[in-house]
Amino acid sequence: MLTFIGRRLLTGVALLAAITTFGFTLLYFGGGDIARKILGENADQQTVALKAQQLGLDRPVLVQYGDWISHAVRGDLGASWFSGQPVLDAIGSRLSVTLSLVTGAIILIAVISVVLGVLAATRRGWVDRIAQLLAIVGHAIPGFLFAVGLVLVFALTLGWFDPTGYVPFLDSPTGWAKTVTLPVIALALGGIASVTQQVRGSVIDALRNDYVRTLRSRGIPARRVVLKHVLRNAAGPALAVLAVYFVGLLGGAVIVEQVFAIPGLGQVAVQATTQGDIPLVMGLLVATGILVIIFNLLVDLAQGWLNPKVRLS
Amino acid sequence: MRFTKAGLAVTLTAGLALTGCASGSGSSTSQTSKNITLGNILAPATFEARNMNWGNQSVYAQAVYDGLLKPAPNGKDVQPSLATKWEYNTNKTVLTLTLRDGVVFSDGTPFTAEVAAQNLLRFRDGTSPQKSKVADLADAKAKDKTTLEITLKQANPAFLIYLAQAAGLQESPAAFGKADAQTNPVGSGPYTLNTSQTVVGTSYKFEKNPKYWDANSVKYDTLTVNVYTDATSELNALRGKQLDAAAVADNSILPQVEAAGFKSNGQNLNFAGLLLFDRAGKSNPALGNVKVRQAINYAVDAAALLKVVGLGRGEATGQVFRPESPAYEGTLNSTYKFDPDKARKLLADAGYASGLELTVPTAALFPKSLWPLLQQQLGDVGIKVKYVDTGTNTIADLQAQKYGLSYFTLQRDANDWQLISNMIAPNATWNTFKYQDPNVDALLATIRTGSEADSAAALKKLNEYVVDQAWFAPWYAPTNYFVTNAGTSVELNQGNVWPNLWNITPKA
Repeated sequence: MLTFIGRRLLTGVALLAAITTFGFTLLYFGGGDIARKILGENADQQTVALKAQQLGLDRPVLVQYGDWISHAVRGDLGASWFSGQPVLDAIGSRLSVTLSLVTGAIILIAVISVVLGVLAATRRGWVDRIAQLLAIVGHAIPGFLFAVGLVLVFALTLGWFDPTGYVPFLDSPTGWAKTVTLPVIALALGGIASVTQQVRGSVIDALRNDYVRTLRSRGIPARRVVLKHVLRNAAGPALAVLAVYFVGLLGGAVIVEQVFAIPGLGQVAVQATTQGDIPLVMGLLVATGILVIIFNLLVDLAQGWLNPKVRLS
Repeated sequence: MRFTKAGLAVTLTAGLALTGCASGSGSSTSQTSKNITLGNILAPATFEARNMNWGNQSVYAQAVYDGLLKPAPNGKDVQPSLATKWEYNTNKTVLTLTLRDGVVFSDGTPFTAEVAAQNLLRFRDGTSPQKSKVADLADAKAKDKTTLEITLKQANPAFLIYLAQAAGLQESPAAFGKADAQTNPVGSGPYTLNTSQTVVGTSYKFEKNPKYWDANSVKYDTLTVNVYTDATSELNALRGKQLDAAAVADNSILPQVEAAGFKSNGQNLNFAGLLLFDRAGKSNPALGNVKVRQAINYAVDAAALLKVVGLGRGEATGQVFRPESPAYEGTLNSTYKFDPDKARKLLADAGYASGLELTVPTAALFPKSLWPLLQQQLGDVGIKVKYVDTGTNTIADLQAQKYGLSYFTLQRDANDWQLISNMIAPNATWNTFKYQDPNVDALLATIRTGSEADSAAALKKLNEYVVDQAWFAPWYAPTNYFVTNAGTSVELNQGNVWPNLWNITPKA
């Protein structure tokens, strides 16, 4: 098991190196005149040139990248070119916000998908048809549109939730719930549609296995068969889809955080990428890369725990 | 299974509480008469006084810093602030200011003339986007604790208003060069930034400065400024009553904002139109011909553009100066009344009877609805428009003289010399090709040093000349809006897109 984890972590480091190299190259050649963007329309050319020099933008790209790498491996990700805030602070203050949205969405997806998928697979009939319909609707409605609709109905018309902003949980649990509920639902919609389908399919497949027939013939209640044996076997594919969705959720958070004006990683990622704030974007790449690697590792471990055959392989 | 509203809320809260962490700051606020939450479209690029910008970022500066002077709401006059008196010498190159005694920065450091001199020189030598405004600053010296002497390289009729804007901001010398200077300002202003409740780039929380020298002028205990880069989220925040007042970037949301009970306070601060930079024809010989530039003015139906592109919010104009300026002449607005036939004749007279091609930069920051209309209207008179997308590099490309003309929206500063320094003078930022004209130079010399009457007369001549020579093709002055709820009053600043912070007050 330790070898497995070690190998995965090494792959993760190589992946991070590839992502940051590719990201830096894209940012460098697509960023335009960063100093001008920082200073805006009224700055004169001399001031712009001075700013570029201060930021080290007058150096060759390889020197700039080497400089970034040498600092990054020592834990120094620099400071945002546009706000002066240390990148680690910028990410640290926003990471928990995005994580609370994404984790909330993952929990929602997992709970609803398992319940709906199992019900659809075991009961079939109208329950199955409703699950299928929800899956189609979930795929068909764009996340952005769904988020706007949620705000219109539940925040602006009914007034149950806040239309924008974020309140930390420790400041006010009620305020926190009022600010994160709609974004979490908006984030989870697509995932619920996909994972429900996956759970339904996997459970139907598992139900056709001989061991299920054997268990039933022994008089073990159907509910116990499904919860203890079928679900355990069907969880693998669902977890794999969930792992893929985690990456998708990080991407989805970009849009949702914009719509709800939530100060998370997605919101700052949009701003930083648009501006060409290389230190901040590189920091975000590192942070999200590490998140994805850790989450995938956890999913692999969970799959191994659920299914010993996976562990052995 | 039965679901109730409360049950749903409890279930979701319980589930999501597992993931709750503490960080960032809330932008959802409960309103009292002592707190105010404002919406802005930009975050400050820095809080370091020597590098601060103005415009939409002025609210952050005015929260934490005092200026040597204050801008009056008319945008061109100044009022006392840290300087209580000021006087020029006869040739207007030495400015002596008497400074307020007993003022301390929020860290306890006293404000003195020596500190003011250091701040001014740091601003001149820094990398503020406003740095060009103090290009005439030769030196600043403390004569004594409360007397500051500023020496200029040449007279500058806008220098006092610059001291009331970014260039005059005063930061504690103890904060100079500190590692967190960009995010943790130390000023003597009415508020201090609460860094632990601030999310950089998103939400800024300020608290009343207990050491402020003019405590009675501070109307709110806390000030929160939330940043909305997306018009939809700003609209949602306004409709959800999460803001007391806000600067609006996208006028299309105004009907819904007004329906939500907000008052739209508008002013025609800018002008929108074409900037015909290349008056010498370096990038395109055709633009060097005044008849071609005039033809471009005649070819465009400004009223139609105001209606379609400007959503009808603004007023048509044919000049870059403001109506309050001595340079302004109402009749100039109809100099180039929409006349395609006249445009065709001018092009023929200029030797372009068979037409010509112009390359026009486009960008996401410009209104999309403009491009087909402009292409069609210029095409109708024989000017073929070729669009080039500049991506996010627009300003840099324009300043690098890559384009001889461009659509743009520029501020019509209330102070005429400020406007001239920004778009007309040979070294003006928005005279991108640094075009110089002896007639203009002579008029500028009079405006710079002449008496009030001589200066006013020269301003009028300058405006007439610039219109005649078609340096620009102004279409309309779009209205900028600052919306306020029923409990908030505002007096707009005619020289800035944001009102002065002290002019945003609780309604009596």
